[in-house]
Amino acid sequence: MHILAKANLIEAIERLVKEFKVLVPMQYDGVSRFSVWGSHGMQAFNASNTLLPPKDSLFPRTETLYAYQVANQEITGVTVRDQAEHQIIFGIRPCDMQSIHCLDDVFLTKGYADSYYHSKREKLLTVCIGCTKSEPTCFCESMGINPAGHSGADIQMNDLGSGYRVVAQSQSGQEIVEKWKDLLSQGQEEVVAASCTLKVDMNGVPEMLATLFEHSLWQEVSRKCIGCGTCTYLCPTCHCFDMDIQNQGNQGTRFRCWDSCMFSDYSRMAGGHDPRPSKSERLRNRFLHKLQFFSERYGKSLCVGCGRCLIKCPVHVDITLLIDQVRKEAAHV
Amino acid sequence: MSDNCYANELVPAIAKVFKIVDETPDIKTFFVSLPDGTKPFTPQPGQLGMVSLLHIGEAMFSVTAQGETHLEFAIKKCGLLTDALHEIKPGQMIGVRGPYGNGFPIERCLGKDLLFIGGGIGLAPVRSLITYCLGQRDDFGTLDIIYGARSIADLCFKEDLFSNWPRHERTKVHVTVDQGDPDCSCHIGFVPAFLEKINPDPQDKMVILCGPPIMIKFCLEVLTKIGYQDEQIITTLEMRMKCGIGKCGRCNIGSKFVCLDGPVFSMADLKNLPGEF
Ligand code: SF4
Ligand code: SF4
Ligand code: FES
Repeated sequence: MHILAKANLIEAIERLVKEFKVLVPMQYDGVSRFSVWGSHGMQAFNASNTLLPPKDSLFPRTETLYAYQVANQEITGVTVRDQAEHQIIFGIRPCDMQSIHCLDDVFLTKGYADSYYHSKREKLLTVCIGCTKSEPTCFCESMGINPAGHSGADIQMNDLGSGYRVVAQSQSGQEIVEKWKDLLSQGQEEVVAASCTLKVDMNGVPEMLATLFEHSLWQEVSRKCIGCGTCTYLCPTCHCFDMDIQNQGNQGTRFRCWDSCMFSDYSRMAGGHDPRPSKSERLRNRFLHKLQFFSERYGKSLCVGCGRCLIKCPVHVDITLLIDQVRKEAAHV
Repeated sequence: MSDNCYANELVPAIAKVFKIVDETPDIKTFFVSLPDGTKPFTPQPGQLGMVSLLHIGEAMFSVTAQGETHLEFAIKKCGLLTDALHEIKPGQMIGVRGPYGNGFPIERCLGKDLLFIGGGIGLAPVRSLITYCLGQRDDFGTLDIIYGARSIADLCFKEDLFSNWPRHERTKVHVTVDQGDPDCSCHIGFVPAFLEKINPDPQDKMVILCGPPIMIKFCLEVLTKIGYQDEQIITTLEMRMKCGIGKCGRCNIGSKFVCLDGPVFSMADLKNLPGEF
C-alpha cells in the first residue's frame, strides 16, 4: 500500500495549492473549522471532526444568487452569479463525508439540480482521514458509518502513526496520488480505526417515530430549548435556507443564507398563519426530519452521528437521549 | 412559450404586467406576458408560479388562468410583497419563474360530476380547473360551483360567476355571502351551511375544495356527513415557500414538500401526513 510519511504531508498539500483551494482543519480562537491552507491558526489534522462542519464549501452561509438593476418600472439587468472554484477538503472525517452525500440528495435529486450547489460539487475533491480516536460525543457507528473511512471520498487516508495510508477511490483521486508519487513509500501496516463509545440503537426508530407524532415527549424535550438555532448551524446536514434581497439605490442582489427551522418565524406565512407555532412543533419537526422524514424520502438518515449538536446545545438537548426515549415510549404505545 | 421559465431554477425570467383587474377591494388579477409577447410557461390547472418584484421580494401563487400568450395571477393583499404588487401599474416589469408543483389530477375527474367549493381567494386555484373543464365540456359530467365570500364586494371573478360560467350546459353556480343587504340576490350564510343545504349527491362525484383553513375544516365535516369519501376530495394547500424546488426545506409536511409533491393533495393523502398545515 501507499504510505505518505507525516514529514511529507506539508509538501503533499503544497503541491495542490496551485490548482485547488485547499481547505484543511484548523483551530483558531478555540473554534475548529476548515480553512484555506495557509490561513491563520493551528492545523488540526490530529483532532477529530471540526466544530464547524465543512458544508459551507458547497453551501455557503450567505451566497449571492443574482444581481439586478431596477429603474422606474423597468428591470434593466439581471446577472446570475454562479462562480465555483476547484476545492479540496483535505482531512474530512467519515461522518462529514456522509453528510455531503445527504446534501447531494437534497440539492441534486428529485427533479431539480440546484445550479449553485451543482457547480461547486462538480469541482470539489475530498480527502477523507479515518478516525483513530473518537470523542465521547461521536456516535457515527450507530448511524451506519464506518469511522475508518468513507467510500465516497476521492482519496481515503488512514493515520498509521508515522504516516498515512493513501488509497485513491476515484479517477480524480488517482490523479492527485500521481502527483505525490515521489512522496509515497510502499509498505504493509495495519489500519487502526476508532470505535465509538457512545451508542444508540437506530433499529426501527423511523417506524417508531411515525407512531409518536402526537406524544407528550415533544413537549417535554422542547421545554428547555431556547430556539437559538445552534444545533442547526452546526449540523453538517442541515440545509434549510432563506432567500432575501439587499437593495442599494437602483440596484441590489438576491442572496440565500442558512436558516433554522428552530426559529419562530421560520414557517409563518404572510397572513400570520403558522403551521408550527410553538417550539415543541419546531423541535419535533427537526428531529423527525433527521430521523424519519429524510429516510422516508431519500432512504438514509439525516443524522450522521457527528455529535456537534450534543456538544454545543446550551441547554443539553441531546439527540442520542431522544432516540433512547423514543425506544422506551414506543414500547408503551 | 416553453415548458418552464427561469434563468436558472432560482432566478426568475423578466416579464411584463400588461393588464390589472380589480376583483375586490383587496384582490387584483395581474395579466403577465414575456417582453416578446409570449406566455412565460404553460401550467397544468393548479400549478404554481413564483412572482417577484425584484427589489421587494418573491412569493408563490397559483396560476388562476392562462391564455395563448399570457398568465393570470389573482393576488390578495396580505403582506409586504402583495401590498407592493397592489400599487404597481400596467407596464411594470416583474420576475416570474415556474411552473412548480403538481396540478389537479384531471384523469381522476374525467367522466365524473364535479363539485367545486371555494371561499374568498380560494377560488383562484380552482378557477384554472373550472376553465379547463368548460373548455373540454364533454369530458366531464355536471359542474357545480359553490362559492362564498365575506360580502358582495368581496366576490372574485364576478363576470365568470354571474355571466360566463352559468351559460354553459350542465353547469350551476351557487353563490353565498357571509353578510349582505336583505335585498341582495345572493344567498346569505357561510359556505359549510350552504353546502349542507344544497346537499350534493356523492355518487360519481369528485370535490375540489379550496379556501381558508377554517372553511375547509367545516366543509369536510359536512361532506363526510353527506357521505363523501376522502378519496373523492381534492384540495390545494398554501405553505410558506422560498425555493419552489424542494431544497430550502421551508414547505415540508412530514416527508412531503408542498412545492414539489403538492400543492394539490387528496384528503386521503393528507390523512397520512402530520396535520402541520
Ligand atoms: S441548540 Fe439546543 S436550545 Fe438551541 S435551538 Fe437547538 S435544541 Fe434548542
Ligand atoms: S443532528 Fe446533531 S449529531 Fe446528528 S448530524 Fe446533526 S449535528 Fe451531528
Ligand atoms: S419552497 Fe423550498 S422546499 Fe418547498
